[in-house]
Amino acid sequence: MRHNKYKILLVEDEANIRNLVATVLDNAGYQTILATSCAGAKTLYASYTPDLIILDLGLPDADGMELLSFVRKESLTPIIVLSARTNETDKITALDMGANDYITKPFGSGELLARVRAALRNNRFSSHDGRLPGGRFILRELEIDYDARQVFLNAEEVKLTQTEYNILALLSENCGKMMTYASIIKAIWGDYTPEGSIKKLQVNMANIRKKIGDKPGETNFIANELGVGYRLNA
Amino acid sequence: MKLSRKHIKDILITLSVLLGAFGLSLLFEYIFDVHEHITTVFIFGIFLISLLTEGYFYGVLAAFIGTVAVNYAFTFPYFSLNFTIPVNLISGIIMIAIAVLTSALTTKLKQQEAMKAESEKERMRANLLRAVSHDLRTPLTTIYGSGTTLLENGAEMTEEQRKKIIAGIKEDSEWLIRMVENLLSITKIDSGQVKIIKTPTVLEELIDSVILKIKKRYPSQKVDIDIPDDVVIIPMDAILIEQVIVNLLENSIQHAKGMTNLSLKVFTLGNQAIFEISDNGCGINPKMLEFIFTGYYTSSDDISDSQKKNAGIGLSVCATIIKAHGGSIKAENLKAGGVVFRFILDTESDYEA
Repeated sequence: MRHNKYKILLVEDEANIRNLVATVLDNAGYQTILATSCAGAKTLYASYTPDLIILDLGLPDADGMELLSFVRKESLTPIIVLSARTNETDKITALDMGANDYITKPFGSGELLARVRAALRNNRFSSHDGRLPGGRFILRELEIDYDARQVFLNAEEVKLTQTEYNILALLSENCGKMMTYASIIKAIWGDYTPEGSIKKLQVNMANIRKKIGDKPGETNFIANELGVGYRLNA
Repeated sequence: MKLSRKHIKDILITLSVLLGAFGLSLLFEYIFDVHEHITTVFIFGIFLISLLTEGYFYGVLAAFIGTVAVNYAFTFPYFSLNFTIPVNLISGIIMIAIAVLTSALTTKLKQQEAMKAESEKERMRANLLRAVSHDLRTPLTTIYGSGTTLLENGAEMTEEQRKKIIAGIKEDSEWLIRMVENLLSITKIDSGQVKIIKTPTVLEELIDSVILKIKKRYPSQKVDIDIPDDVVIIPMDAILIEQVIVNLLENSIQHAKGMTNLSLKVFTLGNQAIFEISDNGCGINPKMLEFIFTGYYTSSDDISDSQKKNAGIGLSVCATIIKAHGGSIKAENLKAGGVVFRFILDTESDYEA
């Protein structure tokens, strides 16, 4: 098997799932490094500096969250969390602690690879292009001119309000990353008061989606995860 | 300290019955000049209070007040308390005894009713568990058998045979996934007195999520969507309501024979949101319509195919979820052919906007 340049650290204690995910990644040409515990993962992370980490939260020796915060203290290495469907709060906690995305078990191999690709691409995007003069963001037919604060769809300008623009710009700077309600609200409004501000965000988001042509069931740009947040699909 | 509604109700009952008894006694005493039945009036009042209020407290309290009132106002010597006269003492003791006995009886009755409801719920849960465990064995057999076969004889099989067996594994595990999702939803509601946590949800996002799920499972199935243009926000447990809509759409896809059109329509009427999932398939046997949300099919039904049993569980899950939301759900055959499933949720929010 010819390997591409990406190294992926897979942290999963359940042997069958580890085997499966490793096979899928290997066949897709990624180089996989396997860890079965939090402590082992820390050592492997330090010696291999992987490009991406796939992390199961339930590990035998420590909570996966610990590894999450350990890695985040050092780097922005993309992390995808594997979670069993329990409740949304676990996912939100993981995302707010710096995970880029999560996949709910059971998942298909296609879905897994799509998330891996998106997370790796995301890492290239998030080089703060937007903050630099002349910064532009281009995603298929969608284009954002950060200097002029203008958004174009098929080269035609989309009229957005200030808040709508700010939200879209934030999502574009984090393209491919699942952004929780709390993290968007904090970045846009600065104050986090649960119910009211989520509603404000939802209404703004509904308008943005309409303006950039996203229809229910035909999500092109902005994906929503009920009760969790939004992601600009890379 | 805030008094609960129940206590306020009990206090009101106690006061009004006592006042009534007092008034009636005055009436007897001064208008009809009857003296003998005043104690009886109070005893009846105390019986009523013990019957209608919670626990022992109010009945016993009323018995004391009644004893004092009768003693003070209606027995000789008038307008003074005197417990040395045996008649007064006896009527007081009788009132208290009646209060205690009646309260004990009603409390016991209420407990028994609660126990009966609880055991009924237990029985339903046991039935569901039995039906489900039975259904789970079929796909597990396929998956286990296929795995063993591939491992032992995979090398001697043709590519086509292998593919067929693997497709079977995939199909049956998809079935299992759906079943487990439904069971998780039920346990989320059934586990004790935990109330559903409703959060304001944008209708469009909900429908978006539903359609993406359906598209993933049935890539070739088209669903016509008709929702309001305005932003509609409905308080709900979005994951559970998503499951309801997915179940209903899936039910049509799997069972509405001859269906060419599947549609999902949502509109608001006053402060209600009405969801309609309709198809133009074969319709539902009118005899089954009534039981479609309540019964998990039992072995006496003429259904042998496990897919159909899943539908039964799927629809009862829908009913359980909608009920827990305080909404209503109904299925109706359409005159033009096909079925419409309709459920209604309140759009009124408990939250400040």
